[in-house]
Amino acid sequence: MAAQVCADVFFSFFVAVGFALLFETPLKALIVAGVLGGLGHGIRCLMLQLGFDLVLSTLCGTVFIGLAGIFFAHKIHTPPVVFTLPACITMIPGLFAYRTILGCIKIYGAGVDGDASKHLQETMYNFILTSSLLFCLAIGISIAALAFRKKSVKEIKHVKDLRLN
Amino acid sequence: MPTMKTENLHPTLPRDEAATPKPQACDLSISEFSQILLQASALLMESGAHCERIHRNIQRLASKSPFLVEMFISFNAISVSLSDKSNAQVVHTATKAIKHHGIHFGVVTNASVLTWKFHDDEISFDELQTQLKALKDTKRHPVWMVRLFIGIACACLCVLVGGNWIDSACTFVASVVGLTVKQEMTKRGFNLMVVFMAASIVTTLIAGLDVLYGLGSFPGSSVATAVLYLIPGVPLINSIIDLLKGYMSIGIARGTFAGFILLCIAVGMFVGISVVGLKNF
Repeated sequence: MAAQVCADVFFSFFVAVGFALLFETPLKALIVAGVLGGLGHGIRCLMLQLGFDLVLSTLCGTVFIGLAGIFFAHKIHTPPVVFTLPACITMIPGLFAYRTILGCIKIYGAGVDGDASKHLQETMYNFILTSSLLFCLAIGISIAALAFRKKSVKEIKHVKDLRLN
Repeated sequence: MPTMKTENLHPTLPRDEAATPKPQACDLSISEFSQILLQASALLMESGAHCERIHRNIQRLASKSPFLVEMFISFNAISVSLSDKSNAQVVHTATKAIKHHGIHFGVVTNASVLTWKFHDDEISFDELQTQLKALKDTKRHPVWMVRLFIGIACACLCVLVGGNWIDSACTFVASVVGLTVKQEMTKRGFNLMVVFMAASIVTTLIAGLDVLYGLGSFPGSSVATAVLYLIPGVPLINSIIDLLKGYMSIGIARGTFAGFILLCIAVGMFVGISVVGLKNF
């Protein structure tokens, strides 16, 4: 299990770096994006191995990325979204989106006379899963603004700035 | 009609004088300042920043000026209204069109740093103007590097989904060629939706060879992951962030934009899959 999680972290590091390059993230934030992407995807992989739900594991991974982003934003003086977005892209539900499209084609191919109800159910399930996972990504990226009452991450420097009490 | 037009270019102040609060405020014309704000906000919008970030950056600049700034952001244009804090009669409104919706996080980073510098009195108004102009030409990463790393990223996604080395090699080739098609067509000024459709067709056809000849262990994975570089991740996530923060109209507009791109990718994949043959999937 540990070997699988390590391989997962390794591969998702490169996914995050690739997408960060596509989004023109500055060089100093590239490594951060890669590390956060790797760790976030690793957390998701670990939770899936322990038997948690896919959506819940994805949410935990992205929330970790969002919270760690506050710390790194101070370290490298960069807005957090610049590297948390490519990091979260590693968890983009590509396979489920693909299955949704394939399902639509199958429904079209089956016509009205055949029995398309199985395809319909499958496609709808994949569509709902895809959109839930996308929503999880957005929540993770904006967790700093959602959970804390500060407008800018720059104002959150110490734990007491969070004003949790 | 009261006019605010005064001498606009103040001499460059020595460091210690520039550090005193609001030294440059009085000789700042209202129309000039509105152009600065519009330039900054349109640049941010064209680089893929969400509305809350644009709003924050603009208010940061405005806090060092003698004007109250209200802004309205829509998908195609940004409009700012300035009014003088000391003289309510002086009002100025200006609008700037947004030309495209690209992604450039380097600009987002530098704009944020620049506005903080202005806010903390580290740079004068003149320096802000010149640096804002230079911001437009922020360097991009070399094209070959982006293509290579996107290929590697898609190949790694393929491995994560469960493909083997042969699957990921097919994914690498398909996504590199597809990204090249997309970038070259964008450079030549084709319609955005046509570009996405063409890139998606090319990618699916190349990755479909894996399915057609049954090369790898899980051939479907290469088709599924090779098109992922096309996914409009930034508009999709920005749409949801905007909805969460309460910018409803632009959140819906961005969502529709991203949804339409997704539809184009789906149509391209449909064409590609039909050419390869659905029976093979």
